[in-house]
Amino acid sequence: MAVSVARAHQRGRPGALRRAVGSEHFSGWAFVTPGVVIILLFGAVPIIWSAVMSFQKNNLLSPSTPFVGTANYRQMLHDPIVVQAIKHTLIYTALFVPGTMIVGLFLAVAMNRKIRFISFYRTAAYATMAISTISEAIVFIWLFDPSYGVVNYFFSLIGLPQQQFLNSPSEALYVIVAMTIWGWTGFSVVIYLAALQGIPQTLLEAASIDGAGPWRTFRRITLPLLSPASLFLAVWLTINALQLFDEVYLSTQGGPLNATTVLVYYLYNQAFQQFNFGYASAIAYFLFLVIIVVTVIQFRVGKRLTYYRS
Amino acid sequence: MTKHRLRGPTAGLVTALTAVAVALAVALAGCGSDASGSSAAGSGSGTIQIWEGWTGAEAKTFAHMVSQYEASHPGQKVESLYVNNDNTLQKVLTAVRGGSTPDIAYLYGSWAPNVAEIPQVVNLTQVVKKPGVNWSDFWTGERAVATVNGKVIGIPALVDNLAVVYNKTLFAKAHLPVPGPNWTWAQFVADAKKLTVASTKQFGTAYVTPGSEDTVWHWEALLWEAGGSLLTADNKKAAFDSAAGLASLETLRTMAVTDKSMYLDPADSAYANLFNSGKIGMLVTGPWDLSAFPNVKYGVQVMPSYAGTSGGHQTISGPDNWVIFNNGATQVTNAEQFLLWLTAPAQVKYFSLQTGDLPTRASVADQASVASRMNTALPGVGTFVSNLAEVKQARPQITQYPKISQILGTMIVSVLLGQSQPQAALASAAQQVNAALAG
Repeated sequence: MAVSVARAHQRGRPGALRRAVGSEHFSGWAFVTPGVVIILLFGAVPIIWSAVMSFQKNNLLSPSTPFVGTANYRQMLHDPIVVQAIKHTLIYTALFVPGTMIVGLFLAVAMNRKIRFISFYRTAAYATMAISTISEAIVFIWLFDPSYGVVNYFFSLIGLPQQQFLNSPSEALYVIVAMTIWGWTGFSVVIYLAALQGIPQTLLEAASIDGAGPWRTFRRITLPLLSPASLFLAVWLTINALQLFDEVYLSTQGGPLNATTVLVYYLYNQAFQQFNFGYASAIAYFLFLVIIVVTVIQFRVGKRLTYYRS
Repeated sequence: MTKHRLRGPTAGLVTALTAVAVALAVALAGCGSDASGSSAAGSGSGTIQIWEGWTGAEAKTFAHMVSQYEASHPGQKVESLYVNNDNTLQKVLTAVRGGSTPDIAYLYGSWAPNVAEIPQVVNLTQVVKKPGVNWSDFWTGERAVATVNGKVIGIPALVDNLAVVYNKTLFAKAHLPVPGPNWTWAQFVADAKKLTVASTKQFGTAYVTPGSEDTVWHWEALLWEAGGSLLTADNKKAAFDSAAGLASLETLRTMAVTDKSMYLDPADSAYANLFNSGKIGMLVTGPWDLSAFPNVKYGVQVMPSYAGTSGGHQTISGPDNWVIFNNGATQVTNAEQFLLWLTAPAQVKYFSLQTGDLPTRASVADQASVASRMNTALPGVGTFVSNLAEVKQARPQITQYPKISQILGTMIVSVLLGQSQPQAALASAAQQVNAALAG
């Protein structure tokens, strides 16, 4: 802004300053500047700073922060835990995103009708979003406790073998999946319910007059009309799934034996427990890249599969 | 992934703002150095800022002591800010960058080697030699954790240690004599087996298995009792791949895998409730847990020993430090004066009696009245007080310790879960530790 004003003066066009100040552009910028500055301060600056750190050996403690080139990025290639963390993150995302969408869709369809106590059911479904992650984690730790948990109790009632759950490297990640699907279902229920209520009754009536059964109506009318909501949920839940942290931190701390170490947990561990802020920043940037790529793919593919009513 | 912090794709925003942000970042860098300059100049106002994480009785007692100090030292003010202890180092790191460090902060002992790298940390080596400080009155374990490479970087703020808390009722039910002061790990293992009742889901003992430092330091006590050590004396190589290391892991393996007498707590959150519900016979834990056991009749005994080794009944301690940051000479002087007052015997005694926290000074713990009064307020604490004398060594004070801890955590958990044999786990961990120390 200031630069362009100065330049205008150099070119010797009198009145340019007054015109600039009086223009709509100026007042527009004046209104958004406070917001922009805050976003830059708390959004863009850390993003850039961590980019710089990812090329440094930096523990944030000592003033010496030698430039190490791409060493942090190359270290990732040779770090077996990074490979595991990527694997866990992908498995988690692949289960969590469709899981949350399917459960949410099922509940939303079930609640998209006029029955008694419907507000209560809807509130109950959304309550999972209002419950803090820490209470959720504590409840699930007890539900899935190998010795005292309710889940193993039900398993014993129906003759299934007792499981180790969070104590088992092969099962712990799936417990986290269950925990987070439960926690996020309320979110997808709300989105799907809103979308369902936007479907015009006339289309559904027309289908039934044409002789379509409920399943066919659902497949051919409801699902396609829900596709914008599905795309939104898929993108949103994927971004969040790739950033899984709280539930892992609160329940297993990445264990047992790194079985639930996902990328964000590992970068937290590297940064705040091992003081490798440079390396942690490199991991963060890798994750950032993954998220961008995945999101772009989702939008590309989603565009073809999504039906927008004009 | 926090639900309350929903964030959309930021990719587009970033590209758009990058150019502007660079300019702003440069400008900010300027501001940052300005700020640090002015705060380093020091105001000499006599107000010092302290970051502490006391809660409950500790917070009340600390506030009372601060007002006492201010009353007896006219012109001195102490501004205290509550910071959750887990987050203090994070907050300090930010403050160091912004040039707004507090004058004093409460920092975990396990951070000490890394804290020592912060240039603003004040070297207290000469301060603790001043007459009246009586540095050797602080426990060996405390002094070791406050010292990094011969440099004193903190003054002990809190101390604890591990001992065995046992359920008297469960011992009586199993017709077992309660543990005596000369007991061994063989007895512990045998008792744990007899205290295990599969039908009522009662376990002999418990172990925390997130693989974190909490997993590791419990085992380090066993290693020392078996006469082993973690690293060589020069901290250059692993030394735990030894007979002592094997004995300690075998002990854990027998209970967790063979006898199934050990409840494994993957989230480090269930064991205290279970003990308080009478589901666990014995716990290796510290004084902080005692107040969580109001429903059971418990006793406290020193750690078991390994027969035929020189390790004895020694235990491990996790002391924390008060650390001073340099905000100018006047501030440092005022901060030192306050800390030396706060950690003098009279104040240590007052704090322990009011809060039940173990005395940080031996001379206070040695006063019979202190231990007995503390024990009346919270039964069992007396044993933890006398157990402080059993803290003979500290964890290695090196910056690589967090990495080593992680390797050891994996080693211990893999043995407890029956995923690997003790000997193989030791060898593999030792190899990784050597690599971490060399790197």
